Amino acid sequence: MSARPLYPFSAIVGQERMKQALLLNVVLPSIGGVLIRGEKGTAKSTAVRALAALLPDIEVVEGCRFHCDPDDPSRHCQECLERASSGPLPRAHVPTRVVELPVGATEDRVVGSLDLERAIREGLKSFEPGVLARANRAILYVDEVNLLDDHVVDALLDAAAMGVNTVEREGVSMSHPSRFVLVGTMNPEEGELRPQLLDRFGLCVEVEGIIDPAARMEIIRRLEAYEADPEGFAHRHKADDAAQADRLTQAKRIISEVTISDEMLLDVARLSIALEVDGHRADLVMMRAAKAMAALDGRTEVQRSDLRRAAELALPHRMRRKPFEDVGVDGEAIERVLGQEQ
Amino acid sequence: MNSQTRPWRKGTVFPFAAFQGQDQARLALCLAVVCPAIGGVLLSGEKGTGKSTLARGLASVLRGLGGGAFVDLPLGAGEDRLSGAIDLEKALRLGRIAWQPGLLAQAHGGVLYADEVNLLPDHIADMLLDACASGVHRVEREGVSMEHPSRFVLVGSMNPEEGELRPQLADRFGLCVAVQASREASERLKVLRAIESFEADPAGFAQGYAGQSDDLLKKLELAVRLYPGVALTAKARELCVTLAGQANSAGQRAELVMARAAKAHAALDSRADATEDDVKAVAEMVLVHRRRMAPPPPPPRQEEQPEPPHDHEHEPDQPEEQQEEPPQDRPESGQASQEQSPGPDQPRDDQGEGAPDTAAPSAPKEEVFEIGQTFQLKPIRFRKDRLRRKAGSGRRTPTRTISKCGRYVKARLDERATDLALDATLRAAAPHQHGRRAMTAGGPAVILKPRDLRDKLREKRVGTLIVFVVDASSSMGAARRMSEAKGAVLSWLLDAYRKRDKVAFVAFRGEKAVTLLPPSSSMERAFRLLEELPTGGKTPLAHGLAEGYRIIQTELRKNPSTIPMLLLISDGRTNVSFSGGRPLKDALAMAESIACDPRIRPIVVDTEPDHINAMGLAKRLAEALRGKHFKVEDLKAESLVGIIAEGRAS
Repeated sequence: MSARPLYPFSAIVGQERMKQALLLNVVLPSIGGVLIRGEKGTAKSTAVRALAALLPDIEVVEGCRFHCDPDDPSRHCQECLERASSGPLPRAHVPTRVVELPVGATEDRVVGSLDLERAIREGLKSFEPGVLARANRAILYVDEVNLLDDHVVDALLDAAAMGVNTVEREGVSMSHPSRFVLVGTMNPEEGELRPQLLDRFGLCVEVEGIIDPAARMEIIRRLEAYEADPEGFAHRHKADDAAQADRLTQAKRIISEVTISDEMLLDVARLSIALEVDGHRADLVMMRAAKAMAALDGRTEVQRSDLRRAAELALPHRMRRKPFEDVGVDGEAIERVLGQEQ
Repeated sequence: MNSQTRPWRKGTVFPFAAFQGQDQARLALCLAVVCPAIGGVLLSGEKGTGKSTLARGLASVLRGLGGGAFVDLPLGAGEDRLSGAIDLEKALRLGRIAWQPGLLAQAHGGVLYADEVNLLPDHIADMLLDACASGVHRVEREGVSMEHPSRFVLVGSMNPEEGELRPQLADRFGLCVAVQASREASERLKVLRAIESFEADPAGFAQGYAGQSDDLLKKLELAVRLYPGVALTAKARELCVTLAGQANSAGQRAELVMARAAKAHAALDSRADATEDDVKAVAEMVLVHRRRMAPPPPPPRQEEQPEPPHDHEHEPDQPEEQQEEPPQDRPESGQASQEQSPGPDQPRDDQGEGAPDTAAPSAPKEEVFEIGQTFQLKPIRFRKDRLRRKAGSGRRTPTRTISKCGRYVKARLDERATDLALDATLRAAAPHQHGRRAMTAGGPAVILKPRDLRDKLREKRVGTLIVFVVDASSSMGAARRMSEAKGAVLSWLLDAYRKRDKVAFVAFRGEKAVTLLPPSSSMERAFRLLEELPTGGKTPLAHGLAEGYRIIQTELRKNPSTIPMLLLISDGRTNVSFSGGRPLKDALAMAESIACDPRIRPIVVDTEPDHINAMGLAKRLAEALRGKHFKVEDLKAESLVGIIAEGRAS
């Protein structure tokens, strides 16, 4: 990476839903990631990279291939557990990373495989970690997730759901922690994802190119300013980014205290029932997203407006669709169940 | 690196005893623990209902019982890990051939859990099946010949929308439970609250349920002890046989399993007599996937199941299928008028469809036609397909694959091996060891040089992707064409299911073509979509072709070994221009450009009725596509078999 500063998060024009969905996942990773649907050139990857830059460094066990958290022994990898038994683990700080999964990635590069070179040279069977190992405690960014091989997507989402990557291949039998914020992007024109896979993404946002000429002008103006003088540009947005980062830190601190009333949770359930979404995942995601929404707002109690916005992010990709219906959420149904916006 | 020791999982698994709802699923799992001979549990249902959480919760129950291992079979597991393989480290470092046991060995005496069991690759599923059936796993490869006991309770979970489970595999599961989220808001609230407090403090949550967990364990322990002494009453036995008979299940497994499950049910209730009530309590989970006439297992939401055509007859036996559409489809053709190509083809079919041309200018009106006759395919062909797999010879081209999934068939010399075939590599290296040892001191016992390296050559079968491009415009609403077309599509779907092909489904009408079903092996979704497919509006045929072609392109990019078939179902009429030109010209141009791709096999099913004024547009399209052309009538009975054979043969 060059020394050039990243485009600042707070300088991204528009795409409020996408930004919000990303922030929610940072506050509460159990929301289960976000799928960004839309055309190219809509600041998707810029937003993800800028988001990572907002996040504080994480503390890791020094030298651990999986970036284990020294303060959370319940999620340590085998190696850290062994090291911990012989004394305190050395600590190090690393920035929050964005790990990218290339479209052409094969299954063994994703889940990891036998280190063949070592096997041949030294006769040792050792595990060569894959993308899912690097992704532990990072943001995993999967561009064009709909073009990945189904096997790879299955492995990916399995790890995302369990927080663990299990490898049983090539004589290697092991598992290691793999918890990450999953951000997938897809252009629906290139083909859809299977519903089962869609469902595994916590939130879904539809992004569109911005049409408003004034906003477009602003985007170009900012990009020019950034290109001309990245340092200066980043510096000008430093305060805004810092405020955003503070808000995130604050939200993470209070998220475990956020409560939601029975009445509102019943509405969540009713909404899922009314819209005939499968299973409980939609309910869970709505609950979590609404809580994160409240936390981002500095509150410890979920409000109806949090719920509505959570529903808009959690439901579009889970709706049962009839032929010739587009992906989207039935706003009327949400209003019917949750009531009108005040 | 033992899969048993996954410390961070302990305490992070939702406790079995704390589960809200899903009583049937929990009961089934408990029954299987009490009596492993029941033969496993299949949890089938929509996504996000906690199937895998429930199954994984069983691990701690087993641990509590001091019983066997809980082995998790990941979807991407290789055959070397399922079956076992030569231990590489021992072979190279110590020069000893030692067998590293696989998951089938580890699972012996315990539970083997396969999530998404319906998506397991065939060669893995075959191996599982074989071990389940015989209780022994035989290894006959990589120069090793051995066998070991492998008796385990198979627990599987699946979402039927993702593709069906092979009947042989389904039958291996003693019990099957359809899992569905509650439709009761207050029940769902309980689930949400339970998960909420579990996530806030997993250990504390488990502690809170320690009492229940203990009670459950005691109950199970007692039941395991009681089970051998439980007897079935005569009436209960009779009921088992009657119920199994009513379900028309194959073989005797149903009543056997039912008897065992009923006894386990009684044992769980601390009784020594298994009565009719016990039988009734378990009957459904024994029979649900064994009932013939219905595809296993029935999805909870769908009311009507398609009746798969019966193989032994040629005439469809669905009297309720109407030969004629109810008259309401007539007014429909207000739209149809716009789309008729200029020409004297008014009397479009025997029912005088042309008349309502003058109907009021309508907003695109739509209608949903029921699925018409499915025609019978010769059964023998498809049965053969099942057997072929084991026999190892096949019509469908097995293909060499570069990915590391697939069956290891042989090794080949490759200095840059990435998928090391250890057995062959060792054999190649063996003769040189003496000389090499002399030159290097120390190091591993076996010294490998690049020229020894052998790569695994794997084989995977190629599927066919059948992309249906269906005309759903109003002209298809005329007479019973749409019903007929739907019937034809369904017949094909059934065939594709038996062949385990992927299908995709594009419909075009109005101004656009829409992918209703991306490439998938889910018959159920395809069926539902077909059933709901509305008809009406203009005919953007070129759009349909373009969309079908796009799907094929995407699939070929993902999986270049796919054999794609493009199946256009239309009368060839079109009235929406794709690129601004004349609609028909556009469609023909599109067809020609598709024909340039030699990988695609196009077929046109012509729905235009025979008539003096028939325009034969579909035939022209078929010619432009350089594909085959068939009339719907030609598809029936034997003739259909012919096409599929031809389409697939080359």
